[in-house]
Amino acid sequence: MSDKGKELYNKVKSKIDTVQKEGTLENKFGMFWKFASNMKFRQHDLRYLYEDSSREFVEKYRDQLIAMKEEFVQNMDFYVEKCIKVMREANNMTVYLAKTNEEAQDIFMKEIGETKVIYKSKSNEAKDIGIIDVLKKNNIEIKETDLGDVLVQLFDYKLPSFGIGPGAHFTREEIVAKIKEVHGVELEPKASAIVKYYRETYRKELLNDVKVSLTSANVISAEDGTIILGENEGNISLLTRATEKHIVVCGITKIVPTILDAVLVAKLQTRINNVSFSYISLIAGPSNTSDVQGERVLGMYGAKEVVVILVDDWRTDAFKKDKIYKDFLKCIGCRTCNYACTASRAFGNIFASKYGLGADGIIRDYIHNGIEAAVKDGLFLCTGCENCRHWCPVSVNLGEIMKSIKKEATKVGLCPPPLIEYQQKILKEKNPFR
Amino acid sequence: MSKLIYLGCLSTRLYDSTCKNAIKIIQFLDNEYQVIENPPCCGSLAYNMTSDEIMKKHVEFVNDWFKTNNITELVTICAGCYSYFTRYYKEFLGSEFTVKIQHFLQFLAEPQNLHKLNLKYPGNSLKVNYHDACHLRNSSIPIMEEPRIILNSIENIELIESVYNKTKSICCGAGGGVYSIFKENSDYNAKTIFDNMKKGKALLTACPFCYTALNRIRDENNIKKPVIKFEDFIAKLVEGVDPIS
Repeated sequence: MSDKGKELYNKVKSKIDTVQKEGTLENKFGMFWKFASNMKFRQHDLRYLYEDSSREFVEKYRDQLIAMKEEFVQNMDFYVEKCIKVMREANNMTVYLAKTNEEAQDIFMKEIGETKVIYKSKSNEAKDIGIIDVLKKNNIEIKETDLGDVLVQLFDYKLPSFGIGPGAHFTREEIVAKIKEVHGVELEPKASAIVKYYRETYRKELLNDVKVSLTSANVISAEDGTIILGENEGNISLLTRATEKHIVVCGITKIVPTILDAVLVAKLQTRINNVSFSYISLIAGPSNTSDVQGERVLGMYGAKEVVVILVDDWRTDAFKKDKIYKDFLKCIGCRTCNYACTASRAFGNIFASKYGLGADGIIRDYIHNGIEAAVKDGLFLCTGCENCRHWCPVSVNLGEIMKSIKKEATKVGLCPPPLIEYQQKILKEKNPFR
Repeated sequence: MSKLIYLGCLSTRLYDSTCKNAIKIIQFLDNEYQVIENPPCCGSLAYNMTSDEIMKKHVEFVNDWFKTNNITELVTICAGCYSYFTRYYKEFLGSEFTVKIQHFLQFLAEPQNLHKLNLKYPGNSLKVNYHDACHLRNSSIPIMEEPRIILNSIENIELIESVYNKTKSICCGAGGGVYSIFKENSDYNAKTIFDNMKKGKALLTACPFCYTALNRIRDENNIKKPVIKFEDFIAKLVEGVDPIS
């Protein structure tokens, strides 16, 4: 049992105190999150928007989805190569395959050139790949466009938030007070008034000023190199059309074999989150026209260039070296695991990392920053209940991955001391309570 | 050949009367089942903190103990032990592990046992909820139907399904040793389990870890609906006593 183990245990305990203390940022998020996850949880069983419930929809396609993701994971090299070839040769996209996050960051910085402002959509992949960090390091202004992220920026909220609705925990009153403080504009504390304000002020900028935009991809089809992006707000539509250069950065595990597979994944993501995408974009190259004598010219009204940076980093390694988080390669990023998670429901954004809430965020922190980071994020708050597995449309067993990371933490002396006492009693005296 | 009643460390330590009830019921149904003093812990609680090499040694020790005592079958009342025996002992030992493992619920749900018990609620009617413990629903042979078969077989008992049940049930927050380090995990989750009971008058559980967490939350929140361990519930019915009185 190391001093570091005790120190981290006490750190997590003090974070629990913070989440339980009324009025703290962590407490406020926790209260919101309990409500939100309960609502989300419930919507899985209700017939919310369609004839079937989202759960029935998931169950109907689960086997197909698992088989498809397994097919991809088993033949990752093949599908990545196929996807890149068609993107380059048929879709007129500039495509990079970055072996590491650092390589992806360098490519990204070269691609943005002299641009000092990047407009971006919500992207968990950009966090995973370290694009946000490198932009900050190079003093490039990041302009979020998803309203949730715009609010997170407005509040300068540094704590982890929910990937699907990152600003949903701010109250109407808090938002209008903040807008008054930052922009000097007085608004009624109504969602419609807040939306109207951003539509009137920010939409013009998005239509006219964007030179380089950054998005991730919900999913990519290897068959025809089509990038699928789903959204409600229209920000992605603007960012991918009213721009000079649209840069897509994502992990290679966003690729699926066929376009129909890709559409299925996108529909599953929307159904699972009960957000019924208003827009689903299928992007297969920059805007172009052949209307002048049949000569194809790129860059009509939409993006002039589409640059795709596919990132491997930990992914191929996880498969080839049979890493403990190999199962994570099947993840479709729907975030179901977040609101079904016992620890997440209890502790909100203290069971999280800078990559996001819950076991998903913690496993990513483990992959990028090692075991100590995972323990600090609250690794040992996971009960191993495997709700994540049961709710996951691809049956990724995050619970089992967390168990393996716990074992590794114990090996290097980072296990909470009371658990080690139990372990010692079991192994030596064959009874934990003797 | 001998048949073992494996009570589990937590129940032995905290719930003596439940252990006695379980022994009485199991031996009434099959008097070949015996208790052996101080059996070794299955190792479930240590699993998350122990390397596979060391864990395998412990598992081998327990298997040797079974062999020494000529154990061929066991019934356990601990959901954790059941889960661990069925899920991990086979992984560690393969064909070396030959003990037939049954949880109390599986044993009870066998038609001849239900017939022999001939259970009846002494009052007019009682609506109860059953909490699906993670250990039981996640094991390699999941136990989800057996408690329902048992409860549905009891005259004057009506099983009310909670809002979330079976594989979608809410975890009490006590698993993975978390209760001993961050028991706050149960504060919200165990409370939600009560909130999801709908019209049920009592909450049944077959997991001593869930019981510990649920009962604390019940006390702390002045919840009137009792939490009852499955063994105690059945024992009371066998005696003709109302389990919620």
